[in-house]
Amino acid sequence: MRKILATTAIAAVALMALSGCSTRTDTAGEDGAAAGFAQDSVIGVALPSKTSENWVLAGGLFEDGLKEAGYKGDVQYAGASTTVKDQQDQISAMVTNGAKVIIIGAADGGQLATQVQSARDAGAIVIAYDRLILNTEAVDYYVAYDNFNVGELQGQALLDGLATKKPEGPYNIELFSGSSDDANSAVFFGGAMSVLQPKIDDGTLVVASGQTDIKQTATAGWKAENAQSRMDALLTSTYGDKTLDGVLSPNDTLARAIITSVKAAGKDIPVVTGQDSEVESVKSIMAGEQYSTINKDTRVLVDKAIEMVNVLQKGDTPEVNDTESYDNGKIVVPAYLLPPVIVTKENASEAYANDPNLAPLTE
Amino acid sequence: MSEDTSTRRGALGDLKKIFGSGSSNLRQFGILFSLIAIILLFQYLTDGLTLSSGNLINLVSQYSYILILAIGMVMVIIAGHIDLSVGSVAAFVGIVVATAMRDWNFPWPLAILLGLFVGMLIGAWQGAWVAYVGVPAFIVTLAGMLIFRGGNQVIGNANTVPVPDGFTIIGSGYLPEVGPNTGYNNLTLLLGLIIVVAVVYSEWRARRVQKIMGSTPAPLWVSIVKVALLCAVIVYASVLFAGGRVGTSFPVSGIILGVLVLFYAFVTRNTIFGRHVYAVGGNKLAAELSGVKSRRVNFLVMMNMSILSALAGMIFVARSVASGPQDGLSWELDAIAAVFIGGAAVSGGIGTVVGSIIGGLVMAVLNNGLQLLGVGSDWVQIIKGMVLLVAVGVDVWNKSQGRPSIIGLLTQKKKTAEFPAEPPLVVPDKGTPESARPQATRPN
Amino acid sequence: MSTDHVILEMRSITKEFPGVKALSDVSITVNRGEIHAICGENGAGKSTLMKVLSGVYPSGTYTGDIIYQGQNVHFKDIRSSEEAGIVIIHQELALIPELSITENIFLGNEPTKWGAIDWITAKKTALELLARVGLRDDPDTLIKNIGVGKQQLVEIAKALNKSVKVLILDEPTAALNESDSMHLLDLIRGLKGRGISSIMISHKLNEIEQVADSITIIRDGKTIETLNVVADGVNEDRIIRGMVGRSLESRFPDRTPHIGEVFFEVRDWTVQHPQVAERMVVKGSSLNVRKGEIVGIAGLMGAGRTELAMSIFGRSYGNFLSGHLYKDGKEIVLKSVADAIDHGLAYVSEDRKALGLNLLDDIKRSVVSAKLSKISAGQVVNDSKEFGIAEQYRKSLRIKTPSVNAGVSKLSGGNQQKVVLAKWMFTDPDLLILDEPTRGIDVGAKYEIYGIIQQLAEQGKGVILISSELPELLGLADRIYTVFEGAITDCIPAESADPETLMKSMTSARKKVQSI
Repeated sequence: MRKILATTAIAAVALMALSGCSTRTDTAGEDGAAAGFAQDSVIGVALPSKTSENWVLAGGLFEDGLKEAGYKGDVQYAGASTTVKDQQDQISAMVTNGAKVIIIGAADGGQLATQVQSARDAGAIVIAYDRLILNTEAVDYYVAYDNFNVGELQGQALLDGLATKKPEGPYNIELFSGSSDDANSAVFFGGAMSVLQPKIDDGTLVVASGQTDIKQTATAGWKAENAQSRMDALLTSTYGDKTLDGVLSPNDTLARAIITSVKAAGKDIPVVTGQDSEVESVKSIMAGEQYSTINKDTRVLVDKAIEMVNVLQKGDTPEVNDTESYDNGKIVVPAYLLPPVIVTKENASEAYANDPNLAPLTE
Repeated sequence: MSEDTSTRRGALGDLKKIFGSGSSNLRQFGILFSLIAIILLFQYLTDGLTLSSGNLINLVSQYSYILILAIGMVMVIIAGHIDLSVGSVAAFVGIVVATAMRDWNFPWPLAILLGLFVGMLIGAWQGAWVAYVGVPAFIVTLAGMLIFRGGNQVIGNANTVPVPDGFTIIGSGYLPEVGPNTGYNNLTLLLGLIIVVAVVYSEWRARRVQKIMGSTPAPLWVSIVKVALLCAVIVYASVLFAGGRVGTSFPVSGIILGVLVLFYAFVTRNTIFGRHVYAVGGNKLAAELSGVKSRRVNFLVMMNMSILSALAGMIFVARSVASGPQDGLSWELDAIAAVFIGGAAVSGGIGTVVGSIIGGLVMAVLNNGLQLLGVGSDWVQIIKGMVLLVAVGVDVWNKSQGRPSIIGLLTQKKKTAEFPAEPPLVVPDKGTPESARPQATRPN
Repeated sequence: MSTDHVILEMRSITKEFPGVKALSDVSITVNRGEIHAICGENGAGKSTLMKVLSGVYPSGTYTGDIIYQGQNVHFKDIRSSEEAGIVIIHQELALIPELSITENIFLGNEPTKWGAIDWITAKKTALELLARVGLRDDPDTLIKNIGVGKQQLVEIAKALNKSVKVLILDEPTAALNESDSMHLLDLIRGLKGRGISSIMISHKLNEIEQVADSITIIRDGKTIETLNVVADGVNEDRIIRGMVGRSLESRFPDRTPHIGEVFFEVRDWTVQHPQVAERMVVKGSSLNVRKGEIVGIAGLMGAGRTELAMSIFGRSYGNFLSGHLYKDGKEIVLKSVADAIDHGLAYVSEDRKALGLNLLDDIKRSVVSAKLSKISAGQVVNDSKEFGIAEQYRKSLRIKTPSVNAGVSKLSGGNQQKVVLAKWMFTDPDLLILDEPTRGIDVGAKYEIYGIIQQLAEQGKGVILISSELPELLGLADRIYTVFEGAITDCIPAESADPETLMKSMTSARKKVQSI
């Protein structure tokens, strides 16, 4: 009796296995890029919160660009106070929706490993956009502006600006860096310091507050209010009787916050660098307040990302130009880096000639 | 005159008993009904993606930690308090555990114990302020929210600290594949089977107990329909969970959640401690005069919340494979929303673990469904806010109308609508004003 | 009777709630300048009738007519009835404790000058009004700092400010002590002299007998009769007969006491006020209780009766200073309520809703709540035992409810009190301290509760009965201690006690008594 039961059970199990009655699928099976995918596939784009103009602009461009190319674009922003969790959930939802490529502008590149792994398991290709995704093997490509170069350009711009302001040093400067949960912050800062450190060492530049460590200069959450309150504190503690000549600011939002703080303290506006070419900052540069910004034209970057999607769709391998620099802790991610452009009042009209929003501001 | 409403109606009344017969169960029915409606709505809108294997698995692992918080939060709220610090405590414990494993080479099981221990210490700290010093929990945990958020940043330097692979099992692990290849995950199927057996047994036992008590149990067909419905849902769900992509199945975090729900549902309903929590929240003075040590109850409830926060924090870290400075942001709001959607009262004394879980699932399914539809997070927030307001609003309105819940609306005869509320024989007033009553108990 | 004398007539008022006819064809007629009492058991419809009159139930939700000063009126809310001069003072006072007397009197009715509140006029008027009600307190005093009796007077002053013509008082003396009650009743008589009519709802029949000119009795939502106090020679028994529809042969069940040994003793008990350290709320009090004995404690409000009881019951009131407790010959130390329960003490508080019950709970959970360990294995509560026990008490105490699963908030006061009694009987105490066990309970239920108290004594338990109603003490107790200003002033055996001697001991620190 028992034997019969056992046999039947085994038979039933075997039958189920053979007939493949389950809908269960193994991993994608094919090796991602090789086969390509349908022209009308879902392409997911997960971006951080809408707190910066650039992300809003990028989202719009992705939406239009993907639609134009015939894909079903699924562009999502995370909520302002819950970016990490929202982004995790959104990427999972894109996987469920069957996205073939997921482009991720990470809120915190260190906390997405589980989601991108499940994306890869489901056969999707993951492109890290602007910010690298860390500690996972499941990132296929990285597309961004060369951020070390951005830092170098910022450092150089600060030196140039100081030179035009007064011919001889020493110059009093202060340093600001970005949010420490953004891997790029250290890269910007490192680039800038590669230019500034020699000048600090030879006494041309003086960081009067003595705060030169990235932990001291960090701006939590890239928030303007944090930069502003730090600047307020610096002005009170250090610049009672000294002149502040220049400030290294990693982006435009922080640059404007720094300028606001200086103005409120009734001081002369120092040379302040920036990045991102935000509308308000371009106005500020034209008005002679902020000294420089970086044009990392979001259009070009988005176009590059969509171009990668197009190549992948045909089943080809996208072009990369850096296969060494971007080690995310598990693998070296193949990257395509775009060159940034420094913009000051002098070259603004030339730099923004192709930008419908910014061009009128420079006239 | 003040007949129990459930005794009035015939077949419809029996039908309602499918969802239980107590008035608190009636309240839960409304929420359960909404949950089912929302699931079906999204199932339709997303062309079946909502109830697909992959999505269900996501849903469980995405919300298990919020639901774990809701379990602790409902007890805090029943006792008449609130805990705003849960997100910060979770983040703090997360970073401590991650740092312990990275810098001090703690093996991961030990790190989990460390995390729970840290949670317990934090809970004891906050509980002592609430229970023995007498500072309102709102203030104590508002302080805790700041203290432990700052603590997270001090320890982690506002950096993201990765955790080793072994640890990630509690957040992103699944039931392993064992046994013959059936095309499904065998353990998940087995789990489903165990639950089915448990459901059948508990219904049988409940009927037996009712008979012993001498109360008339619902007709047999009600029980059979109820059990059949439940089993169908469980079997369907376990086949879905078992049939996901190879390598995925029912998430480990979901199992942790399930065990905790069973445990705490039992604690709140069937133990002396559970009764005392309700008593303190319902009428603290009366509870004290009945021999309840209200301070100890408050202390334990607050401590328990922090331990569960610690667990939730670790599960999130495990899922994110790293502990970051943004962990736990606004979790307290999600947990509190779940509890109130689940039928708890702001003034304390009312609420259930199961109700809160259902309330949390309403939010989870809503969030997930809207994300599948590609609705932006700005709108998701607006919609969630409206749902919270409407859910609690309907509940409050129903209560003020003397009706138990939505089910009351469905089954009440039309004519009663013309009249205002039926007044209870004795107005359940909130007692005499403070001044009119002798200052009876010792100051706290 | 010419209609000139009539200020208010309610004709054939019928008010239905879904499934319940709360009032059916009720009529009353109130003359100018008379005190008209409305009597009836709890739930008879008195409050509903007053809510109809004051516009809480707006015109249209009931049938029948209200003729006020010769006109048919339709009040749509409380405001419109107040504007017409009909003011209701609820049992639970509607005063705000953190505001001053003046601010309370003018709340919602503030005199203004150029849009700002004119506090000078307000205070002047307040002083006049306070003088009229015989209150000499500073109008800036906060309400929380004056006693309940004075608060009641402030309520009346507030009503006078609205140029009241008909004043409705719902249980005005329920929370007042004897002397405050007398003052209030005098005041109502005074108002009558100024042509203000009062409608009074009260359970204290002796007061009604004293002040009322006429009495309307309502039973089960119907008018039973209207009595003229003088002409009909009304007394308490007459009123009770009307209310319950039968005459209560005896207001107390018969009992032959079987009194045993002294088993519980309190010696030199002294307790400090919880906030004011120099104030002693209980001063060197000693008392004892014998098995099977009902010991009464008489005292005016604020004399320290409740404070004494609660401080004995696990120090749940005040700061314990000194004193000893002995039970069965051995000294016991009760540091918490849990200790007290473990040593076989039970305390039924005077405030059922605030201190006695969790109104969110159902009956069965309330009954077992003071001794869960009795039906638990370890930490786990046994549901079926709980149900069985609750059922047992429902039957033995005759708690009127369809099911012990019903919420206690749905029960009437008398039945709630039975639940509280059941809760403490379940702890199987040797000594029950009952603090005002019949407050706010109607006549029929009172009788039943008296029976329960006597049964408990019959079972050999000791009972300490605290009551403001002297007849209750005289009818039930075997021995009565009197308390004045925190100290026990006398101990009188029931046989030799009468209201006069009790009252004397309750109002003066006559002598230091040895327990007998």
